[in-house]
Amino acid sequence: MINAFVSTEVRFAGANGPNAGPLAGKRLAHKDMFYRAGKVSNCGSKIRKGWVAGETAAVLERLDAAGAADIGTLNMSEFAYGPTGHNDHWGDCCNPWNTEYITGGSSSGSGAAVAAGLVFAALGSDTGGSIRLPASACGVTGLKTTWGRVSRHGAMPLSHSLDTIGPLAKSADDCARVYGVIAGRDARDPVTAHAPDKVETDGEVRSVAISSAWIRDNAHPEVAKAVLEAAKHFKLVEVEPPPFDLLSAHCLTVMQAEASAQHAQWMRERPQDYSSAVRARLEAGFAIPAAQYLEVLRLRGAWLAQFTGLLGKADAYLAPTIAVPLPTREQTGPRGGAAMPRLLAEVTRLTRWVNYLGVPALSLPCGFDSRGLPIGLQLVGRPFAEGTLLAAGRAYQRATDWDERTPPASAA
Amino acid sequence: MKGSIMDARTVEMMLAAQGVPLAPGRAEKLAPGVNALNVDDPLRAELPFEVDPTTYTTVLRK
Repeated sequence: MINAFVSTEVRFAGANGPNAGPLAGKRLAHKDMFYRAGKVSNCGSKIRKGWVAGETAAVLERLDAAGAADIGTLNMSEFAYGPTGHNDHWGDCCNPWNTEYITGGSSSGSGAAVAAGLVFAALGSDTGGSIRLPASACGVTGLKTTWGRVSRHGAMPLSHSLDTIGPLAKSADDCARVYGVIAGRDARDPVTAHAPDKVETDGEVRSVAISSAWIRDNAHPEVAKAVLEAAKHFKLVEVEPPPFDLLSAHCLTVMQAEASAQHAQWMRERPQDYSSAVRARLEAGFAIPAAQYLEVLRLRGAWLAQFTGLLGKADAYLAPTIAVPLPTREQTGPRGGAAMPRLLAEVTRLTRWVNYLGVPALSLPCGFDSRGLPIGLQLVGRPFAEGTLLAAGRAYQRATDWDERTPPASAA
Repeated sequence: MKGSIMDARTVEMMLAAQGVPLAPGRAEKLAPGVNALNVDDPLRAELPFEVDPTTYTTVLRK
């Protein structure tokens, strides 16, 4: 039992036939935070349990128009505020490769359902790694989009400066099919970009930047071996690593301050209705000085310019998605003990910096560890270069078969 | 950044000022995590006075 679905009610029947749309006949389900008018979105929480949305998310409108079926809602971390897939209110989502291990979060059900072959694709959200972590842990492909590329209208907010929406699917090609439908300007989400107007789902990949020595020195040997082996499929350019830990701290400053502002009223009126882990994260956000939060946002453009400068002529930066062995649910849950915070920090070490920069990233399965659990790499691109990342992913997946592997708990 | 380090009492007062209740002993646990985010940034000294948070969107869409 992987507990990927929260509900299996068919919310939209989809369409069939040659003219029914690019996703005609495809069965999708989504993280339980994308609103559909008249339907429940629990947002993985007790506080919003049974809450009925009054409007439909822009991304769901686009998928409906493309002919995709929506066959249910998927488990997630409470309010998308957790990196493991634990959920005190709806039950933990379990990794289809071994149910003792975490799925990664917060789009836990999206990763698990795709891996288990229950759906063609699933939408997730990524504020600090919440698409790429479950994609990596569950052995599927996940696309974190550029901030402002996909409308967040009708999606549960966590941190408005960081929130992005994207697909998880078995392959880069399948992700591209969903991305091509959901991306683009939407006046209802004022941060969506006017330009580039054309949504690219393909591109040219000339070279990929990498910091091989950093990976060898910092990633677990099994992860390093798989990622460096995968990197051989690209023309590589060695570069100095971005300051992952500094940018990750900046990401957390923004995320915690904004998430706490978003939840301020409930934190004042009903803090007991949050799980202890989420309540602790929200409490921390109230202690971040406003000037520190705004300074970090002032620095954001400068760091983005540094990153694009670091890329030079390369099209993407390649790194592990999760640099350490996947922990168990027990190690990272309420009984995880004193080692838990450090474990969680290690799991998320290489994802948050990408959200701070706001750039796109594609997580691809690239092997398995000695326990039979998936390993993932991520390609981090320039703003709005999703097409280039998807092209790189397609090329890699044409040459390998990691994306075609199916777990024991599979519908296939 | 890297201002002064916040102690548990300061954390407790900040939350109280915003109407957020805190269980006994929580402030002591929160303070180290909050302080860990207050890091030195090498780009801070070079940042032009005119830069504000919206400048980021210009860089993103360049």
